[in-house]
Amino acid sequence: MTAFLGLLRRDLLVAWRTAPFLLTSALTQPALVILVFGNILPRLGLVADEFRTVMVPGLMAITILMSGVQGVLMPLAADLSGTREVEERLLAPLSARMVAFERIVAGAIQSGIAGLVALPVMMLLVHQVSGVDVKPDWALLLPLVVVSGIVSAAFGLNLGTRVQPRFSGLLFAVVLGPMMLFGCAYYPWASLDALGSVRFVFLVNPLVFMSEAMRLAVTPEVAHMDPLGILAGLAVFAGLLCWAGARSFESRTIL
Amino acid sequence: MSTLVVEDLRKTYPAAGKAAAVEAVRGLSFEVRRGEFFGLLGPNGAGKSTTIGCITTLVRPTGGRIAVDGIDVVARAAEAKRRLAVVPQNRNLDRDLSIRELLLFHGLYFGLPRAAREERALRLLRELQLQDKADSKPAALSGGMQQRAMIARALMHDPALLLLDEPTTGLDPQARRALWDLLKEQHARGLTIVLTTHYMDEADRLCERLAIVDHGRILTEGTPQALRRSLPGGRVLDLWARGGAPLGERLGALAGVQGVEPVTDDEAAHPGVERLRLFVETQDGLLDRVLHEVRAAGAELDHVSLAQPSLEDVYIHLTGKELRE
Ligand SMILES: Nc1ncnc2c1ncn2[C@@H]1O[C@H](COP(=O)(O)OP(=O)(O)O)[C@@H](O)[C@H]1O
Ligand SMILES: [Mg+2]
Repeated sequence: MTAFLGLLRRDLLVAWRTAPFLLTSALTQPALVILVFGNILPRLGLVADEFRTVMVPGLMAITILMSGVQGVLMPLAADLSGTREVEERLLAPLSARMVAFERIVAGAIQSGIAGLVALPVMMLLVHQVSGVDVKPDWALLLPLVVVSGIVSAAFGLNLGTRVQPRFSGLLFAVVLGPMMLFGCAYYPWASLDALGSVRFVFLVNPLVFMSEAMRLAVTPEVAHMDPLGILAGLAVFAGLLCWAGARSFESRTIL
Repeated sequence: MSTLVVEDLRKTYPAAGKAAAVEAVRGLSFEVRRGEFFGLLGPNGAGKSTTIGCITTLVRPTGGRIAVDGIDVVARAAEAKRRLAVVPQNRNLDRDLSIRELLLFHGLYFGLPRAAREERALRLLRELQLQDKADSKPAALSGGMQQRAMIARALMHDPALLLLDEPTTGLDPQARRALWDLLKEQHARGLTIVLTTHYMDEADRLCERLAIVDHGRILTEGTPQALRRSLPGGRVLDLWARGGAPLGERLGALAGVQGVEPVTDDEAAHPGVERLRLFVETQDGLLDRVLHEVRAAGAELDHVSLAQPSLEDVYIHLTGKELRE
């Protein structure tokens, strides 16, 4: 346990030192989206006004997803590089699974913080550009952010250990991009009724549950998925992705 | 009790894609006593790093058993890891931390209390002459300094066993000597050390006992002196000849010559030259008789040298090839 906490402390220290960089990369996208979709497009009459409140929780979910994935992918790249810095972790007195799990926790903390910083920034922006006020239920939000962060970081661990480095450039185009478009970030799950049973295909995407979770806590007045469904979805993805990620981390690092 | 027991260790790297499976270690056994300086000497690809990897739990053995201080490294990995430390072949210092920080964090991973961590980091920085670079990142250090930083890191948690995998490869001669002195000093203080190398002189100078490995097996094991004594004769005569009939058998039949071995390596660099290593007893007239035989075969002598056998000769005797990088 001391080894686990020690590694966590090291990772958070290193992340803290690059915090300006991490936060800039996490906040730029949502801020710009709010500017365009919250102000410019509604003024042009191209987007319905309700979209402003729909997109805030969605953007928050995307911020968490991207920070979580990045927060694991980047250090993992150094870990698995030619010099194998991961050896220092693997030599610490804890199991390889716990080393993998520590990566997930560190990534989850980073992504949770990014999400929680993004939300007030977005609330302020939305208020500024469109006069809309969002009133989140913070008590409900916090645990949902934590679970969403774990799902995101565990997803990042799977990407980092299963995708060969030479294909990592494709990750955004082929994996993360589609996930964001089909992740109920820009439209509530409820609105997918229009698609009939095809909508259930969307559920393979963990971002759907993250977006709905944020919707539940940030804009409860907007139609959202049943809270139990959200929790079940997040729990299943968290469990599955942690398990698969730790396994694949172990098989990549212990030869 | 032995600090390290390796019993019938086997490791086969599974086939991956087009690459076939590799039997890197094929039944290796040795023991290292407490306080001993033990060496694994062998060429590139012999399986040294794989063996170190198995001992340090970074490589999963295919078969056999390894115990550090009586603790099985597979079944009780975390406990075994507390007792061992390794300086790997590649430089794997945490590039995001300064040297001081990475020592302190290493101590933290191993549960050292804060005061003990700081005291020990300070002492190791001083002993390994790293104070000037304590607040630099590893990338700002020379190769020799990074090597010392890895040793400092390894010593942070006060291991019972220190493993070093080819620690001086790529170092300049001065840094190499400094590292040797450092290791001797640590050994003198009672640390048990296992070192791998493909440098004969390094093994000879540092190791109290060593095993020569090739193709994943131990060819022989003993003190450097005993290994040298195991050669027939007592002296080695190196001989290069050009042209003429093959010399091996002729020379082998001479009185005072206990054995002849062709040195087959590196033929491309010396075309048309027959290179032989003779294990000889020093006797009056031996060189004369050899020279006479060479002439009689119609060959021309290119080079001849008489020497005390080195570990390299032991290696050549055992494998029929030179040990080189
Ligand atoms: N990760 C690996 N996967 C496949 N083969 C490997 C791997 N590591 C080493 N080998 C092979 O195992 C053999 C022994 O390698 P190694 O233990 O590194 O030897 P040494 O350290 O003595 O040079 C070599 O043939 C090498 O190519
Ligand atoms: Mg090696």
